[in-house]
Parts: sequence; C-alpha cells; structure tokens
Amino acid sequence: MVKQQIERRGVKDTVVLKAMRTVKRHAFVPASQAGNAYEDRPLPIGYGQTISQPYIVAYMTEVIKPQSNFKVLEIGTGSGYQAAVLSAIVKEVYTIEIIPELGKSATEQLKKADCKNVQVKTGDGYHGWKEHAPYDAIVVTAAAEYIPPPLISQLKEGGKMVIPVGSSFMTQMLILVEKKKDTATTKSLLPVAFVPLTRKK
Amino acid sequence: MVYIAIRGRLLLSLGMLSAAIIAFQLALMQVLSIVQWHHFAYMVISMALLGFGAGGTLLSLFRQRLLKRIHWLLPVLMISCGITMSLVIYVSQFAFIRFDSYLLFANYAHIGRLLLTYLLFFIPFLLGALAIGLIFDHYVALIGKVYFANLLGSAAGGLLLLALLYFLLPHRLPAFISFLPVIAGTMIIPVDHESSRFKNKVALFLFAFIAFISCTGSIIIPPQLQLSQFKDISKALLLPDARIKLEKASPYGPIQAVTSPVLRYAPGLSLLASQPVNASTAVFINGDWVGAVTGSSQPDTAFILNYTSFDLPYRMADRKDVLVLQAGAGIAVAHALSHHATQVVAVEPNAILVAALKHELAADNDSLFYQPAVTVHTQEPRNFLFSDTTHYDLISLPVAGSFGGSAGLYSLHEQFILTKEAFLSMWPRLKEGGAISITAWMDYPARNPLKLLATLTEALEQLNIRQPQHHIAAIRSWGTISFVVTKSALTGTEIRNIRNFCNQWQFDPALLPGLQPTERARYHQLQDSSFFQNMDQLLSTGRDSLYADYDFNIRPAIDNSPYFSQFIRWKSLPRLAEYFGNRSIPFFEIGYVLVVITLVQIALISFVLVLLPLFKPGWKDKSKPGVLLYFGGIGLGYMFVEMVFIQHFTFYFGHPVYAAAAVITALLLFSGLGSFVSGRLEGKRKLLLLVFTVIIVLLFIYAAVLMPLLRQTAQSGLPVKLLIVFLLMAPLAFCMGIPFPAGLSQLARTQSPAIPWAWGLNGCMSVISAALATLIAVEAGFTMVMWLAAFAYCLPLIVLIFYLI
Repeated sequence: MVKQQIERRGVKDTVVLKAMRTVKRHAFVPASQAGNAYEDRPLPIGYGQTISQPYIVAYMTEVIKPQSNFKVLEIGTGSGYQAAVLSAIVKEVYTIEIIPELGKSATEQLKKADCKNVQVKTGDGYHGWKEHAPYDAIVVTAAAEYIPPPLISQLKEGGKMVIPVGSSFMTQMLILVEKKKDTATTKSLLPVAFVPLTRKK
Repeated sequence: MVYIAIRGRLLLSLGMLSAAIIAFQLALMQVLSIVQWHHFAYMVISMALLGFGAGGTLLSLFRQRLLKRIHWLLPVLMISCGITMSLVIYVSQFAFIRFDSYLLFANYAHIGRLLLTYLLFFIPFLLGALAIGLIFDHYVALIGKVYFANLLGSAAGGLLLLALLYFLLPHRLPAFISFLPVIAGTMIIPVDHESSRFKNKVALFLFAFIAFISCTGSIIIPPQLQLSQFKDISKALLLPDARIKLEKASPYGPIQAVTSPVLRYAPGLSLLASQPVNASTAVFINGDWVGAVTGSSQPDTAFILNYTSFDLPYRMADRKDVLVLQAGAGIAVAHALSHHATQVVAVEPNAILVAALKHELAADNDSLFYQPAVTVHTQEPRNFLFSDTTHYDLISLPVAGSFGGSAGLYSLHEQFILTKEAFLSMWPRLKEGGAISITAWMDYPARNPLKLLATLTEALEQLNIRQPQHHIAAIRSWGTISFVVTKSALTGTEIRNIRNFCNQWQFDPALLPGLQPTERARYHQLQDSSFFQNMDQLLSTGRDSLYADYDFNIRPAIDNSPYFSQFIRWKSLPRLAEYFGNRSIPFFEIGYVLVVITLVQIALISFVLVLLPLFKPGWKDKSKPGVLLYFGGIGLGYMFVEMVFIQHFTFYFGHPVYAAAAVITALLLFSGLGSFVSGRLEGKRKLLLLVFTVIIVLLFIYAAVLMPLLRQTAQSGLPVKLLIVFLLMAPLAFCMGIPFPAGLSQLARTQSPAIPWAWGLNGCMSVISAALATLIAVEAGFTMVMWLAAFAYCLPLIVLIFYLI
C-alpha cells in the first residue's frame, strides 16, 4: 500500500511513510470492510462517514509538516485511523468526534493500537479543545462548509490547518490554512498528479 | 356469454386496478426519493414496470391454461396484487434487503440487495399486469371499452395520488392504495357462475377478507422508513440533541425541520470573522437539505451572511428593492432585511414550506414573512418573472451546486431558474443600477462556477452588451464564489467598494474591471492559475474552444435542455478515471450514471421478455416483425410524448407535480376517448392510416411551436393555462388512444395468440422509452425527443402501409 499508493504519488516525508507502515489500517475499518482495508479508496464506516483513502491520510499528515514535539488537534475522529497515524509521529493528539458511537469505537481501537498519546472527546468540534490550545496543527477530517472561528484562534502563530473538500467517496481536494500575523490564508492543494484539465496530454 | 352480465362491474374493477397501479408506482417513487434519491426511485420503478412485459410473456406462454381459469384467477390476481402492495414497503426495509446508493459503488454486496429490491417491487406489478392482460385478451372483442376503462382508471389513479400527497406522508400512501385492487378483486368474485363451486367462492371471499385485514393493518402500523445514512437529514439527526421539529406532507415530498444546538450554517465564512456562528434550524425536503432557518431580527452586524462572499451585492451599492427567487427557508430574505431593504419580494413555489415558515417555524425566523417589508409569492420563479412588473435593485438567486459536490445527484434535475433564458427574463426587472447575484461552491474539478459564468456571459451577449466583463464582478472565499451581474457597467465607486470589502474580510476578487493577476489569489491560493485562465477564456473569443476541450460540459443550460447540473461528458471518462481512479467516476454524476445503468438493464431484460414468446410453437412467423414494429413503435412513441409534455409543462406550470397531473389526466383521458371510438375503425385501414398521419404531423408542429407558444402564454392564469394544455393535447391524445386497441382488434381477427405478446411488448417499450427520453432530453433537448416520438409513430404507419399485420 505505502509503496504503490503513497510513495509513488509523491509523499516523501520518511516519518509519515513510517507511520503509514506501522499503523494497521484494517484495525480501524468495520469488519465487513476488512478485506478492502488496504485498497486505494475511501471506505464507509457507518453513520454516513468514511475513512479516507490511505493516500489522503498520508498527504494530510505530510502537509502539516509534523514534528515530534507537536501538539495536534483533530476534528472528526471517525474511525480513529488519522489520529493513530498522527500519534505515531507527534507528541500529543487531541481528537473530537461528534457521533458518540464513533467516538467510543475509535477510543477502543486507539487503545488496542496502544496509542497512549491520543485523547478522544465526544462533542461538538466547533469550539475546538480550549484546555489544550494552542495547537501546532489542526487536522479537520469532518467536512464543514465553514471553518469555525474558535479553531483559528486555537492555532499557534505559524500553525497549519488542513481540511478536505469534496465528496468523501472521491479523491478530495485539500484546503491548507496557514496562520501568520493574525491573518489566515488558504491554499488549495490537489493531491493527484496535476495536469490542468483543459490541456490534452 | 355469462361474463357479459358483469361486464359493467368488470370494467369498473379494471379501472380501479389500473388506478391502483399508477398510484402505487407514484407512491413508490416518493418513498424511494426519501430513503434514497429520486434516480433510484426511477430505476426501481422502471424495473417494476417490467411486470407488464413479464405479464405479457407469461400470458403468451400459458395463454390457454390461464384463460380457462380466468373466472377465479382474476379476483385472485387482483387481491394478491393488493396484499403485496400493502406489504412490500415493510419487507424492503429489512436490513438484508435495504440497499444504499452510495454503497453500490463501494460495497458490492449492495448490488445484490438492489436486485432483491427490484424483485420485491416487481411482484405487485406483475400480479396486476397479469390481471389486466387477461382481461385485454379475453375481452378483445370489446377492446375499445376495456382499454378506455384502463386509461381512465390510470388517469384517476394519478390524480388520486397527487391529492393524497397533500395529506399523507409517503410511507402511508401504499397502505391506502392497496385497498383498491382488493376491492376490485372482491367485486368480481363470480357469485352467480354455475361452474364456480361453493367451496371456491368461500375460499375467494376468505382470501379477500384476509387481504382487507392486511391492508387495514398497514394503515394502523405503517412501515418505518430507514433513510440512507448519506442523506443530509440522516447526518443532521446524528448531531447531539437533534430532533425533528416539524414534519409535513407536501407534493414536493415531505418537509422536515431539524433542530440541534450544534446545527450551524455559515457558508464559506471569512477566516477573519470572530463572532460566534449561532445554531439554526434546518429544513429538508425528501431528506435533502433545503436551507437554514435563522433569526432575522438581529442587528445587522450579527447576521452571518454579512461575513461571507454572499454579501458582495450589498457592499457595492444600496439595495432597497430586492427580489429573492426560490427563497427556500428564507435566509436570503433575512439577509436583505439585515441590509435595511425596504421591499423584499420572496418567491418560493412550495406553498406548504412557506406556510410552515409562517407558522410552525415563525419563532425560528423571528416571523420573517410577517415583516412589513416582505411579500411572499408561492409561484415558480420563471412564472413570476413573466407576470411581474416591478423593478428591483437586486435579484438574488439560490446557491448553485452544493458543498463538496452532490456527487451529481441533481444532474437530471430540471432547473429552469438557471437557464440562459432565465437570466434574460430577469433583465427587464432590474432598475438602471440593479444587479443579479448568485453564489456557487468552489468545486473541484471546477464545474459550477464556470458554467455559471458561461451562462451569464452568453446572456449578456444576447442582450447586446459588447463587453460583458464590465458588467460582471466575482469574489472568492476559500469555499465559495459569488457573482454579481450589473445592468449598467460597473462604476468606479462599485469597484472600489468591492476591493474594500475583499480587503476587509480577506476575499479575493476573481473578476473585476482592471484586476491585476496578483490580486486574484492574495488570500486564497489555488493549485495553479488554470481556473482564472478558464474564466478569462469564457469572457473572450476562445469560449467555444474551451467548451470543446474542457472535460466537463460547461455550456449554459437552456430551456430546451434545462439540466444545469449535468456536467459529464462521456469522452472524458477515461481521462477522469486515470486521474481519480475508476471507483471515483460514479461519484462525479451518480444520477446520470444510474439512469444509463437503468436503461441498459431494462433493455436487456425487455429483450429477454420480448424474445421468449417467439419460441412458442404454433405461431405464424410472418406477423412477428409487423407486431414488433407496430406495438413497439406505439409504446415508444406514447411514452416519449408523455415525458416530453411533462418536461414542457413543468416549465409552464412551474411545478412538476401539477405538470404530471395535467399531462397524465389529459393524455390518458383523451386517449381513453380515442380508445372508446376505436371500435368504429375496425377494418378501416385508411382511417387508421389517417390517424397515424395526424399524430406524426401534430408532433412535428408541436416540436416547432410548443415552447414558444408556452412562453407567450406563461403569464396567463391557471384556468387559461389548463384550457390551453387541454386544447393542445386533446387532438393528439385522442388520436394516440386509437392505435393500440385497433391493433389488438386486428390481431384478434388474424393472429390471436400474438395478443399477449403485443401487449407485453408495448409495456416493455414504454418502460425503455421513459429512461431513454430523459437521456435524449439531457443530451439533445426536448425538441429532439418530440421528433423521435414522431419517428416512432412512423413505424406502425409502415406496418399498415405494407400490410405487415
């Protein structure tokens, strides 16, 4: 999976690649999907949610340039897979899931995977997690049509936030938010090898 | 003949059964539109209607055996049809049968479930169709009257369902409809027939009694619908403390309002906005998001849309008189009031939604629709524009596209408000300094914003505005792009105001006279500049080459093919698959993909069903091609006409439900009358030739003049419109009711074993043509469907000319 789907597409950060190799994806998908766990696509995990395709998880992780001393907030724990990948790289991961059932199963899976530096909270991600703020990076995995103001205020100066946009069953576009001098700018990132769509190959 | 005595009862019973079948079909569509999306509804129903094809095949294969037992078989079939109607929805909601649209492409087990669903819905249609087919065959001597009863019943069934939609939520509909076939079957239990033994009669009445119990039970305990987990409302209901605050039946589908303390709406909110986003109530129709209901009596500094790109028109100039088209849940109306508009005209076609916003939801929107500045019209926006004479500072349109894309679920949705002609009809309603505003989500790959710009540019050119770029401003947030089109060229003050607004809240101007390239992505960078290049190309002479080269269809939608959200181009699929992976492709445009899949499936199954009877021995070969062309042609043509009329009249009445009601009623009623007199044409081949010629000529005339005629009279009142529709349809529908019974009469004289096959064939072709008509309308427009309908009617004409039956 890592070589074919992730390295080949340009994810180079060795720390991220190592984490992607270490974390067992099949442990975070529903039993009915275990056979598809390492396929190059998003998978449904119930409650209208999906676990992103492995490449997107790797790309989103690489984009925030994670360091071992980082404190990262994740909005939308979902299956817990993204949190597990982050936990293998950074110092602390705080993750919030709004759907209690998903929060509970993610907590169990993360415990099984021995992710001791992850804290899961069930609740509304809009307010972030003030007690542990500010964060070096925020990873939003739950698509929202707006970026909650409290999240931006909980981001450190120079911090990065990454948000996927688009149908959760497709390779999504990512929005990278960077906070500099009290302003926030965004960059659209396209995770697929890009040739402008109007130009013929 | 003993059966003559109950002929009246039999015709009534047939009418009731026909009414039930049409009503049940429409009810199933409603149910499936809620639990899934309307494309699946369409898919499953098409499949179910193949019951008619299968019924014809079964009759062909076992004709003598079935006809011999017709006296008790008819009531059994009808009553069974009623029982299955009352039960299939329950069974379809079992976990092992329930399929999910999205999961079809992600988890192949769901394909099996979909097939089970097909099979399940197929049963009542097959039973009903067998009963109808038996009656057609056995009473072919009276085919004109029998077919008349069938058509009249169908028309009544359509109207009955439409009436029920106003009062009953969709999951309750099948239970009520299921009584009709049971009553129809009970009515014709042979009480005075000498050959029917007492035991048989008792068994039949007992069966009818059990059926009544079953139907009554399903009224008392209606099935609980399990919505797809990917529906908007399903996700909203998972939020903490979410509850359904309101539930109302409506002809557009059930309206539901959901409230939760964490349900918020702030599309593409500026990253500098620091005030809290307050919770709002959200409205859903058929489980799909309609809009947020927000309080309107707040100070304008707290109104959330003021910190989004949606605020652009209000930052450019004062907007005192505002027209909000397709007002939905009313947020754009509240937005206008927050900017102190003195007159806000809200146009929303769904009267039941408006009533809910005025009453049950008035507390959520601070009695928005009671504000002295607000006037509400429950009309379709295009129709409103035809009759309105006011001039406005701003015409505000609903958002094009949806956040994160809708996976193309709306690709086959007719959006007359987003066609080029729609913008042309708004223009005269603008004051000199007036503007039209519309916002789209920034999608990837870019589709909605580009198609919108193409539409605006072409509309301006058609208005003889030489430099459209001097009349269009657009700004971008990280997730939205808002366009404003001004009647007069943008002034220096307006341009300055736009720049100030962008700098204040960190939006990027995307289109503005005198714009520097560096200004376009100061705060929100894109991966590359191709989006801007494409925008510029749309405003230049290179537009056509972009249309030709772009991987998606970004040509403006027009009234003749009003599918704004249809972007897929078949030739681009291999390239897109290479980019995004094969598995992603269906999610670009699920709706369209599904209709194509539907068509292929139906064509294959129809082919099998139609072929099967051909292997039956004892049937002269020479009539087969004639029967195929004659009945296939009229099946194809009839449904093409029905579909294209519904599409045209959706525009005319501004309401698909009214359009369907008018078309189904007029078409079936006048066809029924045609069928009634068809008996007089028996053996008069020349007259029949004339009937076909009239149909073909009328279709060609309508293809040319129907849409212009409808536009000319669009501002008339409903009674006038109904009269026009009936006058337009009467001669055509009357003639279209003749060929089927006349053809069957002819077969009865020369080739009676072919009757069930001909009938099944006609049914199969009707189903195929329903899906096909949609695809043709999308690809080539309504007019083409009309021409093809005329061509389809040429086939039986050829058969008659060459004595092929």
